[in-house]
Amino acid sequence: MTEAVVDVRELRKTFRVTDREEGLAATLRSFVNRRRKDVNAVAGITFRIDPGEVVGFLGPNGAGKTTTLKMLSGLLHPSAGEASVLGYVPWKRENAYLQRMTLLMGNRSQLVWDIPAADSFRVLQEIYRIPDEQFRATVTELTELLELQELVHKPVRNLSLGERMKVEFAAGLIQSPSVAFLDEPTIGLDISMQVRIRRFVAEYNRRTGATILLTSHYMDDVVALCKRVIVIHRGRLLYDGPLADLAERMAPYKVITATLHDGAGSSTDLDAYGTVVSREEGRVTLRVDRQVAPERTARLVNDLGSRLADISVEDPPIEDVIDRVFTSEQTMVSA
Amino acid sequence: MYRALLVAQIQAASQYRVQSILWMLFSVIRPVIFLAAWVAVANSQGGQIGAYDVRDFAAYYICLSLVSNLTMSWNAYDFEFEVRLGRLSPKLLRPLHPIHYSVVENVVWKLTTIVPLAIILVFVSITFDARFRTTPAHLLLFVPSVALAAALAFFSGWVLATLAFWTTRVHAVSTFWDRAAFIFAGQIAPLALLPGPLQAISLALPFGYILGVPAEILRGGVSVPTALQLIAGQVIWLVIFYFAFFRVWRAGVRQYSAVGA
Amino acid sequence: MARRGPAVQRGGRLIVRYLRLLRLFFRTELQYELEYRLNLLLEIVQTIVVTATSVAAVLVLFSYTTVLNGWDLGAMLVLLGCFYLVQGFGELVLQPSFEKFMEHVRLGTLDFALLKPVSAQFLVTLRNFQVVQLSQMGLGAVVVAIGLSRIPNIGVAEAMGFQIALLCGFGLIYALLLALSTFAFWFVRVDNLMALYWSFMDAGRFPVDVYPGWLRVTLSSAVPIGVAVTVPAQVIAGRLDPLGLALLVLGTVAAFVVASRFWRLGLRSYTGASA
Repeated sequence: MTEAVVDVRELRKTFRVTDREEGLAATLRSFVNRRRKDVNAVAGITFRIDPGEVVGFLGPNGAGKTTTLKMLSGLLHPSAGEASVLGYVPWKRENAYLQRMTLLMGNRSQLVWDIPAADSFRVLQEIYRIPDEQFRATVTELTELLELQELVHKPVRNLSLGERMKVEFAAGLIQSPSVAFLDEPTIGLDISMQVRIRRFVAEYNRRTGATILLTSHYMDDVVALCKRVIVIHRGRLLYDGPLADLAERMAPYKVITATLHDGAGSSTDLDAYGTVVSREEGRVTLRVDRQVAPERTARLVNDLGSRLADISVEDPPIEDVIDRVFTSEQTMVSA
Repeated sequence: MYRALLVAQIQAASQYRVQSILWMLFSVIRPVIFLAAWVAVANSQGGQIGAYDVRDFAAYYICLSLVSNLTMSWNAYDFEFEVRLGRLSPKLLRPLHPIHYSVVENVVWKLTTIVPLAIILVFVSITFDARFRTTPAHLLLFVPSVALAAALAFFSGWVLATLAFWTTRVHAVSTFWDRAAFIFAGQIAPLALLPGPLQAISLALPFGYILGVPAEILRGGVSVPTALQLIAGQVIWLVIFYFAFFRVWRAGVRQYSAVGA
Repeated sequence: MARRGPAVQRGGRLIVRYLRLLRLFFRTELQYELEYRLNLLLEIVQTIVVTATSVAAVLVLFSYTTVLNGWDLGAMLVLLGCFYLVQGFGELVLQPSFEKFMEHVRLGTLDFALLKPVSAQFLVTLRNFQVVQLSQMGLGAVVVAIGLSRIPNIGVAEAMGFQIALLCGFGLIYALLLALSTFAFWFVRVDNLMALYWSFMDAGRFPVDVYPGWLRVTLSSAVPIGVAVTVPAQVIAGRLDPLGLALLVLGTVAAFVVASRFWRLGLRSYTGASA
């Protein structure tokens, strides 16, 4: 049996926050009597990850994904429980561990803005003590994979958000880590860039065998990259297993939103197409079984014709999926 | 109109209390530094340099500190900032000349810091046994003198700031201005003690009329007739900068709108 | 992509690594600043103006006396030069780095420095340079040289002691700024504190023994600018004994250790609090 790369047992993190309500009276009261509340960001999770896996942490905002990642990367001490990554205790932040891991945060930049990325790479080479040949090889490969040829010599501040993200990725991987923690890597990026980043991560994993943990609240990130997904909600692990099973089992529907020209008040006949979830200001939202969604959409477009101003077909929001996982609710979807 | 602005500024000022105290310290620390130096010089010469003994120096620098606080004008720095950020445009569109905001802000700040400053200066006065030669006439003359000085500091600062319409290098210009003031305003030495040529220059430049002149009037270091002459000098410089400001401002706004706000 | 084995690694001993990193930080910034030549030129001119006017102020004082509290003109100029050397050092690397540090705390990007296999304190406090401030230090050295030309009998011992004392001065200012910026962990915006530091720094232009008791004590302990500047000047003017110098070195090391401990304390609270 292979040694697990990441081994987590009953990991817990509790934060103390001051609990203060709004209003002048509450403010004055809090001067005298500070009420502290304990927030269980992570409430005892356990899992193992094997070398080379790409695992997705799914969950709505505030679920505890980032906190877990911060503990595994070594930034936070847990309140209780154990974890080991590559055989090290992460929060000891031993140099040997830091040498072999990386943390990439989607909305935070580690590069110096005024200088070209290439100069930052050079600094990182020195920090990680990467031999010249290996450095050159790594940079060449990353440049090729991420299409950075023209980007690395421009000052980072002159790059667009997407370009910056690519360069940040390269910087995060210069040291050829064995484990990569990616926190919301595609946040704020446009669709095409999201796709490119996902492709890159998949390719990187294929080429290097690096173990990758990524958190996201975009279902698409996880769908594209992770065979295995861990669902976290309110600090608890709700699901740990193949992705394919999760979506299909827990939320086997699509959400169709149709916007009508004439105001939807009168459109009761849409019941035939699916379960009407909401009706407001000319917009009707329907829930439709995944299998039949394309066919229903086509029928809607056909039947409504010029009355239809806009139509969208989307995956259920992740919060809904999580809700379902949490409440184990099974709704009958109209066939 | 001023009343409404005044109320708003007083509310804002109460939030910046700590910062205000810190700025006030600026007007105290440098005079104290040079006072200590001159005391050491005087002591090495038997306690007297020209018309100043140790107690006179103390009185002078205390007055200088007070005047420094009362004439401080920083709004110009904010202005350069606002031009660069493009925040000026909405203000230009309002029917109120932006300068009114800064006048009120300036006055309110001085009102809030004058009391703590006075307390500190009393301590310094006792420590050094300062001797003031002030007469009621001097006090009377001090009021218009310091008001003129404050206005002069205000408008000259704004003329400098208006350069921000044309160049981003206002910082360099204000460094030159500040260092000239360092020498000629009466900080490094009372104006009467500046070596001959420097003293002549200092009377021709505006800097001395902002700090040194009101300080000496308050201390009672100049005779009443001389004081009146110096006040006349203040008036002249104020008139120059007052009209300079409006000229430069108009040209600057035109330049700004031409380039694209 | 080769997975790096444990054997082949760059860099030898720790100190060599860190010096190499410093050189890299410096060179990168230098390249950047050299692109803005007009800016550089203007900054240098400003530095010259500031230094020249300060020398002028000293000359005005000395037009009335030959000795100020035991300091003659040569010694005073050495002191002024030391003042600009120490202040220049602060503006060269400490202030830019600490400003950047405070920004990191505000934006939450400090985390990256914590996860590098190099001392976080080093990576944060000596990272950013403002190369043009070398001109301030250069001018300070020029003023020291001018002052020294008026002082006879400078021996090897004095010269060595001077360098040691000056390095201690740099160390003291580092410790002071480190301690001040630690407050950023709790208060985020410490501009006010920095402004306070600035105003007290100005007092370093005169020997610390010129000031009244309470100010002298402050400038020798809480804001050690007085000690950082006065002592090197005293050494080279032949006025300091070896015991005093030894005390200075010990004091600097102690200040560095205490400030570093304090900073690490702040760091713990920062990582504990961030979610």
